[in-house]
Amino acid sequence: MVLATLLAGCGGGGDTELGGASANLTTSAQQQADRTMDGNGEQISKRALGAAPSDIPASRAEAARFLAQATFGATEAHINKVMALGYSDWIEDQFAKPRSIHLEDWEAWDALAKASGAGSTIGQDGVVNSFWKSAISGPDQLRQRVAYALAQIFVVSMQEDTVSGNSRAVAHYLDLLAHRGLGSYRNLLEGVAMHPMMGFYLSSIHNRKADPVTGRMPDENFARESMQLFSIGLHELQPNGEPRLVNGKPVETFTSADISGLAKVFTGWSSACPAYPSDSCFLTDAANGSYDPDRRLKPMVGYPKYHAFEEKRFLGTVIAPQSPPDPQASLKAALDTLEQHPNVGPFLGKQLIQKLVTSNPSPEYVASVAAAFNDNGQGVRGDMKAVVRAVLLHPQARATSSTSGLLRDPVLRVTTFLRAFGYASDTGRFRVGNTDNAVSSLGMTPLRAPTVFNFHRPGYVPPGTQAAALGLVVPEMQSVQETTAASYVNVMRDTVAYGWGQHNVMVNGVNLNRRDLQADFSAELALADRPDLLMDRISAKLMPGGMPAGLRAEIETTIGKMKAPPALYPSGSNQKLVDDAKRNRVNAALLLTLASPEYQVQK
Amino acid sequence: MKPLTPPSRRLFLRQAGALSALGMAGAPLALNLAALGSAAAQTAADYKALVCIFLYGGNDGFSMVLPTDAASFANYTAVRNQMPDPIALLGPGVPANLAAALGSPERLGGVLPINPLNTQGRSFALHPAMASLRNMFNNDKRLAVVANVGTLIQPTSKTQYSQASHPNPPRLFSHNDQQNIWQTFKPEGATVGWGGRMADLMASQNTRAIFTAISASGNASWLSGETVKQYQIGANGAVRLATDANGLIYGSAVVAEAMARIVTGTRGGHVMEADLAAVSKRAIDAEVSLRNALKAPDHAYFGTPAANGGYDPNNDPKLLYDNPGTGAKSFNSLARQLQIVARMIDASDGAGVGAKRQVFFVGIGGFDTHDRQNRNHADLMARLAHAMRYFDNSLGAMGARNKVTAFTASDFGRTFTSNGDGTDHGWGSHHFVMGGAVKGGDIYGDFPVLGAKNAGNNNFDSSPNQIGNGCLIPEISVDQMGATLARWFGLTDTQLLDVFPNLVNFDASKRNLGFMS
Repeated sequence: MVLATLLAGCGGGGDTELGGASANLTTSAQQQADRTMDGNGEQISKRALGAAPSDIPASRAEAARFLAQATFGATEAHINKVMALGYSDWIEDQFAKPRSIHLEDWEAWDALAKASGAGSTIGQDGVVNSFWKSAISGPDQLRQRVAYALAQIFVVSMQEDTVSGNSRAVAHYLDLLAHRGLGSYRNLLEGVAMHPMMGFYLSSIHNRKADPVTGRMPDENFARESMQLFSIGLHELQPNGEPRLVNGKPVETFTSADISGLAKVFTGWSSACPAYPSDSCFLTDAANGSYDPDRRLKPMVGYPKYHAFEEKRFLGTVIAPQSPPDPQASLKAALDTLEQHPNVGPFLGKQLIQKLVTSNPSPEYVASVAAAFNDNGQGVRGDMKAVVRAVLLHPQARATSSTSGLLRDPVLRVTTFLRAFGYASDTGRFRVGNTDNAVSSLGMTPLRAPTVFNFHRPGYVPPGTQAAALGLVVPEMQSVQETTAASYVNVMRDTVAYGWGQHNVMVNGVNLNRRDLQADFSAELALADRPDLLMDRISAKLMPGGMPAGLRAEIETTIGKMKAPPALYPSGSNQKLVDDAKRNRVNAALLLTLASPEYQVQK
Repeated sequence: MKPLTPPSRRLFLRQAGALSALGMAGAPLALNLAALGSAAAQTAADYKALVCIFLYGGNDGFSMVLPTDAASFANYTAVRNQMPDPIALLGPGVPANLAAALGSPERLGGVLPINPLNTQGRSFALHPAMASLRNMFNNDKRLAVVANVGTLIQPTSKTQYSQASHPNPPRLFSHNDQQNIWQTFKPEGATVGWGGRMADLMASQNTRAIFTAISASGNASWLSGETVKQYQIGANGAVRLATDANGLIYGSAVVAEAMARIVTGTRGGHVMEADLAAVSKRAIDAEVSLRNALKAPDHAYFGTPAANGGYDPNNDPKLLYDNPGTGAKSFNSLARQLQIVARMIDASDGAGVGAKRQVFFVGIGGFDTHDRQNRNHADLMARLAHAMRYFDNSLGAMGARNKVTAFTASDFGRTFTSNGDGTDHGWGSHHFVMGGAVKGGDIYGDFPVLGAKNAGNNNFDSSPNQIGNGCLIPEISVDQMGATLARWFGLTDTQLLDVFPNLVNFDASKRNLGFMS
């Protein structure tokens, strides 16, 4: 009982305190950053509000299914809200929620780290922990779930040391995805293209124009990947996402010449700098020892002297020779060309469906999302809110079959569990940190993809599987193999028993000596001698759509066979035996559910 | 001309695969394979393994194997000495300048000359961080270079490359697709690779099919066959699923028994659940077999014996390499992957394993050196060289050198030109083949001409081998290199043509490159 009170206190208190602390820490940098992101304005179109909701779910199970797609895991509170508002208004309500600001978390926690010792920094953990904080406890669940999807499309990764060395800016990049991810695609693409973290990750910062005398060529990295991964993809697509075939063959969207042409646009970009546009600023981000402390957050700036002046041809667009060179004009022409390409709607729309709802959407489903991208109903192209609505509200998002849905990635398997049981952070800082290790941890850490191609490719077909035989892709199977199948269960075994996250000893003067994220299982422990009721409760939380009878029976029978909690002696001398027996039963019921293939697939 | 694949044969194999997927494996499959014509190795008593070392990101072969004749090296130096961070390595014999920045060409010193049997009228060298491989090439003769390898559908000249009617591989210069084409001859989405096809044909030699195609580096399409499924092993061995040393979960045997049923079965009827359950079943079955078969990693074959069972791979001197970027020793994760491969090879004749033919896959990333190439590529070359030498040493201790052949593969080569501090996506590149059965100390394939960049265009008119940005048109196809390895592995001519779909487009005299004894 004492423990439960303490938990609740730490979780809630921590949030409030941090909110205050970070408000004080809000810097001009962040204001600048927010203003920059707001600068171009969002296209917002809302369904007419005020009318009675017309799409109340048929059941709580249906509401929970929807929330599995739209959040990091269904909770009682969100199910109640969807039941009250209906799907559409719940989405609008989420859009209007205050945005979690990862930069604020990072700065607050970095200040704490610095106070703890000279030279200390929260570093990468500040980004990762802020992700977990918003995933587990953030009010803007839909926005953050979309941002998590976008972070796996517009990939920057802290596996690259130029990126991990600027983790404050990575927190800001995640904010950019969360913010512009529900704005206009054109602004999102520009934000991504100009963010110094993308500049470092795909080597477009400090990139110079060609030198015809020495033979130096522009770096092509960002030019290529921005077409292949961030906008149009490799093949011309029909509006329904199927490849357009000519003579039975797909048509490639760009050639090497297009890459070389677009690469010229991404020359001459470097940091914001007080002495702009001096050579030293372009080359070293500083002049005479003076630099902009927020140069890693602010959009990159075009330096005409280093920008290609000659004609630039790509994707049918021709930018005439410029005198003087005009990087901003080149950028606008390039991003407009990409944004207007007919592939973007089906290319991006299909991937968002795959990340939120189902790995194998029908062509009709993709077509409807692409149509929403092309026109939000008010003649506006690229409205990401309209895209998200179309993804979540399509009839096929509500339907189920033996092939629909997606395999939850390891992070989503954990968040779904933690949210269902109300895990809270002892420190309020969601100290999770790096979960890269595939044997002892999840084999992936948010914002630490192995390459710009993400953890999981949208076209991945798992060899030798029933899915492959049926012609299905299962992107998240890319990281499932014998090692990770076993280690996932091992990680959950320990999470159920000990909690999630890094170990704390003293927290606020209290010796807790346990992992940072803990849940209150008192309601489950009270049912330990009633396996039937215990499984009612666990299946309602973890498989609200219904636990298959065979699985339910298997687990319930197993719990019944485990050592029963003995009667408590009046003296209380066997309290520990009683508690341990109860806890073992609850742990086993949770773990066997979490380990099941049924839990791992989001249907 | 489209490659001709015997359709009935492919169909037959696919049907065999379908049968086994339906649970009718075993006898029908073996019968089918026998009916298809058995390879010599299908009755062989010897053991052979092929190990693919995949260099993710596209390795810069131009700075790994260098022609050092005056004209070639002058062009290399001129093209790659670009501001702000010149990436040209220095010529043979230039002493390392210990005052220069770590990882810089000056600090590394000149490239290391090698002495191929056939000099092709030129001279050659390796990257300065590859001293151990230079010795393996020159002295041990267990290392060969295959020059200018890449994805090809048929022989391709510079003129043909730009003709619309000429069949070039799809999606050139794209990472994920070229990785897949190297491994499967198809772009992303392919499910059958040539390592896996070889495993299909050889699996009947093995007691347990699961130990035929093994990855120490995540899922790789190269390893997937039509019937053989790849098995993934952890760096320290197989990972036990949830049970403790006594076979209990939370101290309970009934929970452990239920766990085994739950993770290996499915009650919901969903396809993805069934596929997950199949992986868990293999995980549990394989772990039981390997639990006692594998020697400890600190056995003298593969590691440095630790006192009191306290083995820490991160501090095993055998797994540490000289990091040119820091000047200190660093842990080599690629060597660690090759350690479990060596342990698996050592255990191949053990009870519960019983393998005569195995294909392995290991890999490291970071080769996409668009920027900071000097330091990053030197580090990668040092890791690759150390890991290969470590593996050769381990095989030597095991007495298994002649049974194991390792080779490098990568997405593609890179541009010859510099973008100021790095290189961009290319096509053909040079690769290593290592082992006791390799006719080492030589370069196989015509080494390409490295031309000068023309003032007026980017087409490297002075080289018949180079296109825009100085990328190489491959001279040798992945099919030819793979077929040469597969022939050693025991495949027949007929099987080679089946496994390597483009091989038929290359002259019969060039389907065996001759680097295997």
